[in-house]
Amino acid sequence: MRRLFYLIREAWVNMRTNRTTTIVAVLTTAFALACVGIFLLLYVNLRNAAGSLQEDVKVMVYLEDRLPSEQVRELDRTLKTDRMVDGVLFISKAQALGEFRVQFPSESHLLEGLGENPLPASFVVTLAPSFRSPDAMKAWVERVQTMEGVAKVDYNQEWSSLLAGLIGYIELAAIGVGILLSAAAVTIIGNTTRLALLARQEEIEILRLIGATRTFIRIPYFLEGAVLGACGSALSLGILKFAVELFRQQIQLTGRFSGIEGMISFFPLSVCLALVMAGMGLGFAGSVVSLLRVGDGRA
Amino acid sequence: MDAIIQLIHVSKWHARRAALSDVTVEIEKGEFVLLMGASGAGKSTLLRMLIAEEQPDEGQIFVHGKNVTKLRASEIPYLRRKVGAVFQDFRLLPKKSVFDNVALPLIVQGASEKDIHRKVTEALRAVDVDHKNDQLPSSLSTGEQQRVCIARSIVNGPVVLLADEPTGNLDPERTREIIELFKLINARGTTVVVATHDPHVLKYVNRRVITLVQGVLLAERRAGEGVGG
Repeated sequence: MRRLFYLIREAWVNMRTNRTTTIVAVLTTAFALACVGIFLLLYVNLRNAAGSLQEDVKVMVYLEDRLPSEQVRELDRTLKTDRMVDGVLFISKAQALGEFRVQFPSESHLLEGLGENPLPASFVVTLAPSFRSPDAMKAWVERVQTMEGVAKVDYNQEWSSLLAGLIGYIELAAIGVGILLSAAAVTIIGNTTRLALLARQEEIEILRLIGATRTFIRIPYFLEGAVLGACGSALSLGILKFAVELFRQQIQLTGRFSGIEGMISFFPLSVCLALVMAGMGLGFAGSVVSLLRVGDGRA
Repeated sequence: MDAIIQLIHVSKWHARRAALSDVTVEIEKGEFVLLMGASGAGKSTLLRMLIAEEQPDEGQIFVHGKNVTKLRASEIPYLRRKVGAVFQDFRLLPKKSVFDNVALPLIVQGASEKDIHRKVTEALRAVDVDHKNDQLPSSLSTGEQQRVCIARSIVNGPVVLLADEPTGNLDPERTREIIELFKLINARGTTVVVATHDPHVLKYVNRRVITLVQGVLLAERRAGEGVGG
């Protein structure tokens, strides 16, 4: 018990003795991790936005003209039993004409002269959430396109691909920036640990001579690194939360892009905890790097 | 008698200069040995080798049955827990109280709170500084600091106590007191090896003397006798 207390107290003393270095390390780590956090937030929000927008993506399956009702029912059955399909809504030729007249009342006279209703009957298909990726949608559309009685299948492929591409780029950027700035955080904390080591070289020497093991000597520095990393990470989350709230407030005040403030979300608590743990891990790694050769038994 | 320390044809070079040259010596369990020699004679090198702080270039060293030259790095701390060390510059932690300094070897070993309190109190009482256990080392005299250093070296009951110039910073009266303390520790069964260049120490000790000159074991005798071959 006293041993544990000693190790924790030593870590605390290290941080208190090198107060300025500790504060600088926490601040720089916080800013480095906040930069990573910006990309993560952007990624999470775009994923959410893409998810909610993709829920609205409907695939229109237009039917050939004068298709026998038996064949329409058969197609309806086929689509409804498809595991990739979440919902199917049939729109007859008459319903299509009615909707056209409601949506475009000023242009409805254009259809008057044609005599017969030129609009095709269709199925409005909502795909299951796990099959809303551009690739899955494309494959499904190609399959349905070949079905007998289907004239054309239509969906907004470009928009869907563009959003997926953008998310992909942000994901890559988040990974790249994350790796770079995490390495920076490891280096910052590693240097802080090294400074603490230099300041306490004599003490380490005494500990070695009285029979302290390598692990015993290192634990306070590992703890210090982990605490610095966790504090830096927690502070970066605080900075990001503040920035997000400020952004929301600005949108509300200026009135521009109104409506999107409700779509901007912060990390859920579980992700915040995971990020603090990740910061802790980075700090620990920083200490490990700078302690590789410290506490060796032989001089 | 059993040899607790054995050096067999030990040599060590520091920058092409022989710090120790073909030294062979045995120290029995319970002995009190003075290691004499001028500065640079190789006394500190020899003591450092006994706690595996340095490795010999040639020869073998055995301490308490362990071949020190063959110890793995992870085994060295356990050797050092059996060998107490006293230094000329005391090497006390300036920001820790006397009690905490002496408790350090026990904390390192994971001793219980109860044991730590009992053993530290006993060790401080043995060196007669138990009334200063809350003070910082800086508030003590040099003699008292050396006593605290000795208390730290004996607190976990080592089988061997090594002292490197323990009286180097002390006046003759304090020197006598410290040597008396070592004799007392030795009387309780601990093997004591005191390295010193101070010939006055010989006045207080009538024990085995090993003399080193420029890394060579010149002679062994008892204090008070002339130098023999």
